Order: sequence, then structure tokens, then C-alpha cells
Amino acid sequence: MRRLANAVLVLALSPTLALAQQSSPPAEEATPQAPTSDAPAADSPAPATTSEADAAPADADIDERMTIAEGKVAALEEQNTETKNDLLSLKKLKISGYVQGRYQYQQSLDDSGAGGFSKFSVRRGRLKTTYTTDWAQMMLQIDAVPAAPGVTVRDAEATLFIPGTQQQLSLTLGQMKWPFGYEAVQSSSDREMPERTRVIRAFLPDERDRGIKFAGNFLEGKVNVSVGLFDGDGIFNQGYIGSDNDKEKDFIGRAGFDLGWLSGGVSGWHGYSIAKAPSDTYRKAHTRDRLGLDAQVYLDVLPFGATSIKGEYIVGKGYWKSSGDVKVEQLGVPASGWYGLIVQNVGLTNAVAVRYDWFDPEHGKKNAAVDGRPASSNTVGTLGVSLLHYFGENLKVTAAYEMPMTAAPSGAQEPHDNLFTLQMQARY
Amino acid sequence: MKAFLGTIVAGLLLALPLSAQAGNVTVKGSDTMVILGQRWAEEFMKKTPGTKVQVTGGGSGVGLAALQNGTTEIAMSSREMKDAEKTKLRTRYNTTGVEIPVAKDGVTFYVSESNPVNALTVEQLRGIYVGDITNWKQVGGPDAPIIIYSRENSSGTYVFVKDHVLDGEDYVASAQTLPGTAAVVNAVSKEKNSIGYGGAAYAKGIKELKIKKGNEEVAPSAENIKTGKYPLSRDLYFYLRNKPSGEAKTFIDFALSPEGQAVVTKVGYFPVK
Repeated sequence: MRRLANAVLVLALSPTLALAQQSSPPAEEATPQAPTSDAPAADSPAPATTSEADAAPADADIDERMTIAEGKVAALEEQNTETKNDLLSLKKLKISGYVQGRYQYQQSLDDSGAGGFSKFSVRRGRLKTTYTTDWAQMMLQIDAVPAAPGVTVRDAEATLFIPGTQQQLSLTLGQMKWPFGYEAVQSSSDREMPERTRVIRAFLPDERDRGIKFAGNFLEGKVNVSVGLFDGDGIFNQGYIGSDNDKEKDFIGRAGFDLGWLSGGVSGWHGYSIAKAPSDTYRKAHTRDRLGLDAQVYLDVLPFGATSIKGEYIVGKGYWKSSGDVKVEQLGVPASGWYGLIVQNVGLTNAVAVRYDWFDPEHGKKNAAVDGRPASSNTVGTLGVSLLHYFGENLKVTAAYEMPMTAAPSGAQEPHDNLFTLQMQARY
Repeated sequence: MKAFLGTIVAGLLLALPLSAQAGNVTVKGSDTMVILGQRWAEEFMKKTPGTKVQVTGGGSGVGLAALQNGTTEIAMSSREMKDAEKTKLRTRYNTTGVEIPVAKDGVTFYVSESNPVNALTVEQLRGIYVGDITNWKQVGGPDAPIIIYSRENSSGTYVFVKDHVLDGEDYVASAQTLPGTAAVVNAVSKEKNSIGYGGAAYAKGIKELKIKKGNEEVAPSAENIKTGKYPLSRDLYFYLRNKPSGEAKTFIDFALSPEGQAVVTKVGYFPVK
């Protein structure tokens, strides 16, 4: 009677508890009767959810228990299927990004102590979302950094995978990388040296533009082609940010091959920039052409890690020169440059890279001196050495030392502009 | 400045990896291959005391991702490495990777023993798995809806069927995904109107479908799979970042030896040598 009174009291005080107790048999009644049961029912607390299974008598025979267990499994399978269906669309969404934090030290340019710096900066702060289905892909990448230009759109692409081609052929419209060469297309997060080479920065600044591009893989990926029509002005070109300066479109493309250990390609660019150079009376069409060759070799000969050797050569007319935060087009000016890069892995988590890049800003013009210093049109060769260490898959530390060597005619002093960069890159 | 740079270099060198510990080999990847890998490991460790071979599953995609992330020495895969995976390996390790076929397998489609259907064409299988064929009577069976079992998308078998049977199309949304071939076999054996797929090694207690090619019906037999006559034959691979060396090489040499290939046959797959 006392137990009954207690039960009534508990029921009155706690309707929730009462419900739970109603759905669970009293402990002493749950003593297993079936001799084949491995675990006594009393040891197994009743699940929080109520179901027919929970209300099953403890003395049910083995068949009944099996039926109950199968029912529970079926219910879980159903829930699992629903959850998976819900998650299916999320699987198509990929969010990634990386941050490059830096410390840099550059020598003073001359003995007077002018120039040079010692600074901390955030070079890149990328956030990228990609949503891919069988037929379509949307990609948006923004760059958020504390210094100018602040938050900017790097990529905004809408892609159609041509049906029936298993995503081997695609058409992309929007703002994207120019399909030219190797280093310009390579992600900044994958590069061994902190910045791209001088020749790439001159001919393909910021690597992107608005346009339309066809991309295709043929012969099981051994041959790849990317061609497109672009405005041709890039995304930070002085005066033409976000718009075209003329009706001329630039035709840009690369035909490449990939044999696994050896890959490479030939790139071409043909277009015009209708603009007024300082020497022009009226606007006129200035040729904007480039020809590029690139090759990458991957070798596995040393016992402590693989080796890659990469090189690229570009020659053309019309490039961009940085002037503060903007790029000023050098209309119709011929230029050329090349680079060679060796990367040696040391074990699983270290690598050493050595790069030499060379740029002639006025192709073939004799080097000159102004006020005892090299002219801005002189050739520059840069030797860089970089040590890389990977802390797992998410963090890469790079220590790089670069020595630009500006051609200095007799009597002119080459500027002291060696640069040390310590970079930590975190990505996900 | 030189002292500063020296400190950085020293720091990086001190952090050199110790991941390749002597006497330890890690093998990760394909669920289809996990039992085979474990049998190899057991036999190998008996022969070479003091060497530890750790084999775990997770799916081919998981194994290849682990290879790219440096968390396994050997990736087991029931499919070829994709271009995107090769690119990641090149980017991170400056290598194209090393592919070693270690066994052969035939992807087999299973139905319940009570199902009168014995053979289907690849086109019919595609129709079922993309959702165009929904009833067994459309392919000569009873008037009953087809219950479809599939694998998770991290599975190499899932990718193989998608590429070689579905021509790259997506699986029908109603296909129920199960975590391993054994689970598929178990589900098919209990659901008389179902169909599933997996490796031949697990195909016990259910009926294996033959593949119709014209007037011929090709069974997933050892001979047909070894000769490649069975249209859904495939190689099973080990992938490594670099040319194998040390304990990993010894283990792979064992797997490819007559003794190791005998293990392949015992597990139910087909030797490559």
C-alpha cells in the first residue's frame, strides 16, 4: 500500500516521469525468463523513446524478441536512410579556405638606410565554397585581408558539365583564372615560394578575369585543353576594374599533356587593348599577345623523397606594372621571362625549394642606369630558397629567402633588396 | 638576420618526421580488401616477428586521402586513383605515386536465391540503379518492386559501379546504402526482391547474377575474372607515395609472392601472378 501511495505521489508531482515509468516495466518484473538471453533486461535501461518494443513483456519467447529486435533495426535503418538523404545535398557543398600570415624583412635599398621594411601582414585570407552536382558547379571565392583592397571577389564561376561526358568537358562563365601556363593557374596555397615569379606577375597579374571558358580532358586525361574569351583587363587593372575598356575580347588558351611523370603545355594569348599611351594622340589598338611554354617533371630517384623540376617561359607584348596598389598596363611593350624551380621532398613533412626567375621588362633593350642606379626597364634575376615544413595536413610553415639581382650597368649600384619571408599557412 | 634564418632552419630540421618508425607498416583503405589485407598481415607477422602491420578499412577514398595526408604508408584501393587524387599527391609530395596491382576481383551483383532472374545485361543493371527499371517484371522476374542496395560513396566498389555500370550517372535516390559488402549480402539474403553488389569474396548464401553479353551469359567465375571475360572484372591495388622501401617493401613482396597470392585465393579473390 505504501508503494502504491508513493507511486501516486510521484505521478502527481511529475507527469513526465510517470510516462517514463508507465512505458518501462518495474525492475523486479523485468527479470529475464528466457534462458537464452545474454543480458538481463534489468541491466538494460529502457530507451527514452516509447515504442511497442519497449512495452514488450519480459517473458516473451525468443522469436518474439527477435521480431522486436528486427523492428528496432528496421526503424534505425529508416532513420539512417532519411538522415543520409538529408545529408546528400550537403555532400555536394564543399567549403574550404586558408590564411597566410607573414613576417617579412627586406634590406634597406642603399647605404642611406632608405627603403626596406620589417612587417607583419596577412597576405591572403581565402574562403571558398563549391557546390557540385552531376551537371553543374558553382564556385565562389573571396579574399579577406586587413590591407587594401580589403574584401574582394577572387572567383565567381558558373560551370556546366556537358551532359554525357562524365564531367570531362565543361563550360564556365564568370570570373575565373586565365587558362594560361602553369604557375598562374596553380593555387597560392600549394606553391612552395611565397609569391609567383616576376614574369607571371607581369603578364598575368592576379591571374583572373571575366570571361567564358571551355575546358576538356581527352585520351583518359593525357591531353587537356582550356580555351576562352576574356575581357583581357584582369581584375585590378588601373581604370578598368570590373569592366572592359573596349569591345575587344582576348582569346586565351592552353593545350597540355600529362603523362604522369611529365606534363606540360603550350599557351597562347591574342588580343588588343584600345587605349591611349602617353605617346599617342588618340586611342588606338595596342597588341596584347603572349606565347608560353611550360613543363613539369616528377622524379622518384632519391631514397628520402621525391623531386620535381618545373619551368616556364613567356614572351609577349603588353604587360602590367605595379604602381602602388594598382596595375598599370604597359601598352604594346614587349617583354619576356622564365623561371626554373626544383623542389625536393625530405621525408614526409619537409621540402626544400630553389627557384631562379628572370624577367626582361623591355625585351631585348639594353640595360641602362639613372642617377647611379639601374633603370626600371633593366632585367631582374631572382634567386630564391625556401624551406617548408608541414604540421599535419592543415598547417604549412615556409621560410624563404629571395635575392633579386637587377642588372646594373657599369657605375650603377644594384639595390639591396633581399627579402626574407616567414609564412604560416593554415588551411582546411 | 643570418642568426634568425639559422634558427628557423634549425627549427624546421628538428621537426623532421618520425612517422616512418622501423618495424611498423600502416595499411588503410578499401573495405573490399580489408580482410585480404588482414590475412596478409597475419601471415607476414608470423614470418617476421617484431614487425607490426596495421590494417584498417574505411573505403578506397579514405585510404587514398590518408596517403595524401601522410597518415598511411600503403593505401588499399579497389579502383584506380582519380586525376584529382593524383594532382593532390603531386602537389604535396612532388610524386605521381606508385600503383601496384595485388589481386583481381569481379564486382558481382547479388539477388535472393528465390529470385528467378539469373542474368542481366549491363544496360539492365544500369536501368535498375539509375531508377529507370523499378519492377522485376521489366527484366523477366516477378511482379514486385526492386529493392536496391548500394554502398557508401567512400567505397571503391561504389565508384567502380558508378563508372563502369552507371556510366557516371548518379544512383537512384531510393538506393539504400550499406556500410560494407557483408552488410549488402546479408540484406539481399533477407529481402527476396532486392539486388545488391560487392566483391566475389563475400558472395555466399545468395545468388550471383551472370552478365548477359549478346546471347552469352558470363558468370563471375574465377576463370572469367582472371581472363577479363567477365565484364565487371577489376584489379585491386596497393598505392604508395614513393617506390616501396624497408618494411613496406618486404610486406608488398610477401603479398606478391606465391605464398601471398595463395592467401588471395583463400580469401576468395584471384591472384595477379
